[in-house]
Amino acid sequence: MAKDESPQVSRRTTRASLNSTPNSKAPQEHSKATNPSRPLTIKDLVFRGKSINLDELINSFPGRRAQILELVQFLGPLNSPMIPLFVYGGASTGKTSTVLYMFRHLKRPFIYCSCVSCYSPSILFESILNQILLHRKNESGGYLSAKRCERPSDFVNSLGEALTALIDSLKGNMRKSSPYGRMVYLVFDHLELVRQWDKSDSIISLLFNLYTLLKIPEVGLIFISRVSLDTFQSDTGFVEPFPVYFPDYTEDDLHQIFMSNQANPKLYSSFLDLVLRPFYRITRRVDELSTAFSPLFKKYCEPLGDLVAVPNEDMKRKLFSHLQPFISLSLNETFTISSQPLLKDRNLRKSVFKKPGVCETLDEIDFHMSTSAKYLLISAFLASRNPATLDASLFDSTGGTDNRKKKRKVSEKSIDQKEAKEQEILMKGPGTFPLERLLAIHQCITSVGEYSLDDEELQNGELGADGSDSGSMSDILLQLSSLCSANFITKGGSCPLEGSTRYRSIVSEDVVLKVARSLKFPLSKYLYRR
Amino acid sequence: MGGANPAEVAQFIIRSRIADPCFVHSLFSQLPDSNYSKLKYIISSSVTEACNNSVLLLGSRGCGKTAVLELVLEDLHKEHPDMISVVKLNGLLHSDNNCALKEIARQVCMEHQLQFSKMASFDENSKFLLSILRECGLAHKTIVFVLEEFDLFTEGKQRLLYSLLDAMQSVLSQAVVVGVSCRLDADQLLEKRVRSRFSHRKLLFLTSPGEDFQRLAEHILLLPMDSRLPNDFRASFNEKLLNILADEEFKGVVDQLCYSESSVSQLLRFLFCAVCHMDLSSGSLSIQNFKSALPSIQRQPKQEALKDCSVLQLYLLVCMRRLEVKELELCNFNSIMKEYKSIHDSFKTSDYYARNVCLRAFEHLLQRGLVSFQDNRGQGQSAEFRPVKLLISWHELQQGLQSFRSCPPLLHKLMDREG
Repeated sequence: MAKDESPQVSRRTTRASLNSTPNSKAPQEHSKATNPSRPLTIKDLVFRGKSINLDELINSFPGRRAQILELVQFLGPLNSPMIPLFVYGGASTGKTSTVLYMFRHLKRPFIYCSCVSCYSPSILFESILNQILLHRKNESGGYLSAKRCERPSDFVNSLGEALTALIDSLKGNMRKSSPYGRMVYLVFDHLELVRQWDKSDSIISLLFNLYTLLKIPEVGLIFISRVSLDTFQSDTGFVEPFPVYFPDYTEDDLHQIFMSNQANPKLYSSFLDLVLRPFYRITRRVDELSTAFSPLFKKYCEPLGDLVAVPNEDMKRKLFSHLQPFISLSLNETFTISSQPLLKDRNLRKSVFKKPGVCETLDEIDFHMSTSAKYLLISAFLASRNPATLDASLFDSTGGTDNRKKKRKVSEKSIDQKEAKEQEILMKGPGTFPLERLLAIHQCITSVGEYSLDDEELQNGELGADGSDSGSMSDILLQLSSLCSANFITKGGSCPLEGSTRYRSIVSEDVVLKVARSLKFPLSKYLYRR
Repeated sequence: MGGANPAEVAQFIIRSRIADPCFVHSLFSQLPDSNYSKLKYIISSSVTEACNNSVLLLGSRGCGKTAVLELVLEDLHKEHPDMISVVKLNGLLHSDNNCALKEIARQVCMEHQLQFSKMASFDENSKFLLSILRECGLAHKTIVFVLEEFDLFTEGKQRLLYSLLDAMQSVLSQAVVVGVSCRLDADQLLEKRVRSRFSHRKLLFLTSPGEDFQRLAEHILLLPMDSRLPNDFRASFNEKLLNILADEEFKGVVDQLCYSESSVSQLLRFLFCAVCHMDLSSGSLSIQNFKSALPSIQRQPKQEALKDCSVLQLYLLVCMRRLEVKELELCNFNSIMKEYKSIHDSFKTSDYYARNVCLRAFEHLLQRGLVSFQDNRGQGQSAEFRPVKLLISWHELQQGLQSFRSCPPLLHKLMDREG
């Protein structure tokens, strides 16, 4: 897409991607990949390559004019000291790109670290120190950091020393009329993630108080976060940094953003006129919109012979009626990964064995799973949904077909009770169960399911471990642990009374229905409906 | 910066002043009967009369406790050269006893050119501390221990505080312990054995009231005699500035600013913003600069987050609000979806989307901080079932809907009917 805002990239790749302007028209003449053995210099803290002027900067970020001007003013002319800034705004509003591009415009040394890639305090500390000390992890150094730094106290000491040295050398450069100035900027990205770290309170206070701790006026701090300052709570607070707000894009801004860098602007504009408004009501994030738009645009272009032609009114109407059904379909979809080639392949393979008409592509589960794991998943689902007291009647020797006789006369009171129960189910979600119950249910359904499946099993040639002997116990436990790690089943805390671990199935009913259908397992027979 | 634009030089000077807390608070040091003179008296008496002392500086964050302390220490350094050595600790960094003692040893070693051993144990370091205190006492040299974020040192067993204050009971040592904290009840956090050794001297720092505001602004903004500035530029700049500061309009802006918060740090942020907006070509500050600085200081994060929402997210918020009115015990995504569906059933809205789309919108609401999980339990549960709560009031939501540009009229109706 036009705006390559990829928030989860490390500094190096960010810079590399930034070397191409957002319009990606400029050739990548200056790539960062220089000779890796060359020692780093101060120049490496500054953007190399072509600098951009303010107008280019503003033009490359539609709808961000006010924010860019404000930021440039706050950073001020060369060498001006500043108080810490706090840049915040929703996801995908161009915070990181704008700040990084601004440094490209200003050509001043800066250090960028994102709390996504630096996911713990010590890694964050070491990454900052590595950059300031111009240290590069390499093979000869055993990929070690410049300094080991676990404690905040060590970090502040080393950071102070390193920054003073760096600023001194910058001042030395100044005399030789080097253009970088003597300010060094530290940019902390994704600060909102710090809130989830261990001892987040002290780390947040540390970062926000870093300016007063360091007492170096030549340091500029810029914090970037998705959430506003009021969600950062700490015991005795901190000196608040100066807030700079990035609002979400408006419809016009989005139009401008999507229009940039299009091969056939007229065509795309007529496409946007159709899709932008309905999608804008759902989400205003560029990344989500662009993933939704790209397949739709392909659909839109399908009836067209050549993509260069400017569509006339008649054509537009035709294209509109062509696209119309797909829009409403796509509106109700979230992000999907297309595993089309894989699926097609499997369908072909399956259809050789299966009777025609049985296999429906929509009901296909799009992941591989062994038969015994499927049974285990179903039993976990049943154990989570059904009340434990009904197990005996559902799985007794008659095969559990007698749950229909529960129909009684409905009184007003029972309706109320029923509603209350429903409400409870909605609130509580799936229930938990001990391992023994899961194994018992698994035993029951595999002993029932076995004969209905036998013929197909043999045809497919996959003799699972789910026969009458039910495999070994250890196999089941192994399957269970792999289901747990695949997040189909979660392991809860142990029950204080029984002292055993409790499990909970968190798969949705649709998925389990698909799984059951692939096994031809009569799930509805065993599912207790209130 | 030789032949630079004088306006740029002026901006540079003011920006450096704002970024330097010591300069800002130097204004208050000139006043008689200020905390500055009290603190100076306490520390200097300890220096001249060779006694031990301890004092707490208490006051809200950003009101200049540390800055005043720095000024005092700087002055005393000038008055009594080579008589004072300062050891600075910060609760954020050194709340761990072991770490704190190591840091003390490190700083003392740095100052006296001694060999510092990283490997020294807690025991060795505390012995070293005692011997250093004795040696300094014999040499009539005062050690000032500055403990910033004092409240954080009171966590745990308070061994550091105990050993420091206990060492001061001896006649041989000559030291001052200065605690700096934003918790006004910091002395109540001390253990009994520590409290009995503390002198109970407390200096309370007040946030600057309105009158000081004017003087502080003048103190920061008026340009000094400077070789880089032409004299006539300085005179005209200062004159224009004084006019603005005396203006009723400016006073109105200041009143609005102080209405929510009147701390020095708030003022500094305000002035920083105004100075950054200064028009460099005209070379002077205008009332407009100050006016435009006001809204960027006084942010309303919840309203901003509401304005950033999509229509679907607003629907979910209104659904949550309606559930709140119904006084349900718990509310989670499933009950929100039920409400959403019932709204759709009764009004046939065009904004009815599939469950997974709503779930994504709901997750964005969680990210924005408009909605949060009620507790941290049940991490294993998926987000749909965990109970959530709305973090904005009815009034805020109402206001947000009204200022939202393309808010569906149905939402207003739904809000009014139940609210």
